Amino acid sequence: MYSGPVIDSDVHHARSADSELIPYLSKGWREYVTDRGPAGNVALTVQDGLPNPHGFMRADTYPAGGGEPGADYPTMRDQLLSASDVRRAVLTFGDDSHLAGHHNPYFAAELARATNDWSIDSWLGQDTRLYSSIMVGSQLPDVAAEEVRRHAANPRMVQVMLVDNPFNKPFGHPIFHPIYAAAEETGRPVAIHGGAGGWANPPSTGGGSVSTYFETHVLWPQAIQTHLVSFIAHGVFEKYPRLRLVLIEGGSAWIPSLLWRFDTEFKGLRREVPWLKRLPSEYFAQHVWVTTQPLEVAPKKENVVELLRSMSLEDHLVYSSDYPHWDADEIDYLATRLPAEWHRRVFFGNACRLYGWEEEDVAPPQQVAEKER
Amino acid sequence: MRIDVGAVSDFEQRRVRIVNAGNHEVGVLRWGERFFAVHNRCPHQSGPVCRGIVSGRLTSRVPGSMEVDEETPILACPWHGWEFELERGRALWDPHYAVKVAPVHVESGRVVLEVRRGPAA
Repeated sequence: MYSGPVIDSDVHHARSADSELIPYLSKGWREYVTDRGPAGNVALTVQDGLPNPHGFMRADTYPAGGGEPGADYPTMRDQLLSASDVRRAVLTFGDDSHLAGHHNPYFAAELARATNDWSIDSWLGQDTRLYSSIMVGSQLPDVAAEEVRRHAANPRMVQVMLVDNPFNKPFGHPIFHPIYAAAEETGRPVAIHGGAGGWANPPSTGGGSVSTYFETHVLWPQAIQTHLVSFIAHGVFEKYPRLRLVLIEGGSAWIPSLLWRFDTEFKGLRREVPWLKRLPSEYFAQHVWVTTQPLEVAPKKENVVELLRSMSLEDHLVYSSDYPHWDADEIDYLATRLPAEWHRRVFFGNACRLYGWEEEDVAPPQQVAEKER
Repeated sequence: MRIDVGAVSDFEQRRVRIVNAGNHEVGVLRWGERFFAVHNRCPHQSGPVCRGIVSGRLTSRVPGSMEVDEETPILACPWHGWEFELERGRALWDPHYAVKVAPVHVESGRVVLEVRRGPAA
């Protein structure tokens, strides 16, 4: 059991209908997507992905009054925010998070702008505990950077989120660097959320496109691993030394193995990347955080703990529920899998460091309300 | 003990010559008018490091740039490519990890190596 303060770093808020988002599009784009006769509107979300036979949502999260899981604030409040001492929750969108999977880069950029404004208007005003990711259409990195800067003065827009990969080049590639320049400049971490592999881009695994959701879910970490290696190898943290990176929903027990391999390979192949001044694992230690869900489950939980401890991951793990998705991890469950002396850091302190929050400022809801009066 | 390993003019630029020194082999490198000597045993997997590739040290000011520091000769072990600078033998990725160096200097046009033990039988 853990009854202390919690920051949840992956909460998927959603919308139940296109009509919620369309008003946030410019007049021209509204005209583009709507009133297309018998064919219906142009789809706002990427129509791709492997089907989960259970559905992607926890069946109990469908709002009693109708609508989609994650789309109803009172349901989220009761099931998630108020069910434990959640001080802050970072919203990470639903299907709209895949907007970088759109083939039309201009449409994606417009959707990013609209989606962010929808998130601010529809969610952040409802509860002071809610914070939002900034979606970007990474197809146009310079436009994406401007979108990041547009939210610079809003402390509730806390991270720049990348999911789908429009160029089939891992996210460390210089083509994406304008986004990281803006993230560093505005003090926002970059978040890479797993799961793009099952959608439009890139191919779902490094070995080829798999056939079932079962396979792609097992291999979820592959894309995250590729992006992490790419970030470090391309010297993103040398170029943007204040940049922070959080890897969402990619697992964590593989990290020691990858970093051991990464360090060893660097010793022999440094010539190719002389801009790296430190071992890859040292960049990781300074710049990277990792969300907990889905925590790998070994028959002996000590085996996972030992692996995580070998790379000091107790100082890098940040709790994430993944609510309202089917594979969400509960706080009490996670508390049984990790040592008690890690709990405060994993559920609270590490996320404060990630987002640049002072722990004493992350108060319970009633204290927040009093401060604001 | 001191070992005369040859005339300066016998040493080709940027080529390691392996000589017997005591009970082990030492590689002697001429780099301009400077000489360097390291034991022919990589600290990694005991590979013949002196049979590796010699070059100037590749550096970079910013990601994507590639420059060479000609003042700093580098030896890359042939077995796994681990690189060592030859002044102090230190690995480029960890100053505490090093190939063993041997003192070497020029005396009256001769290259003189200093090693602790006597020559091999």
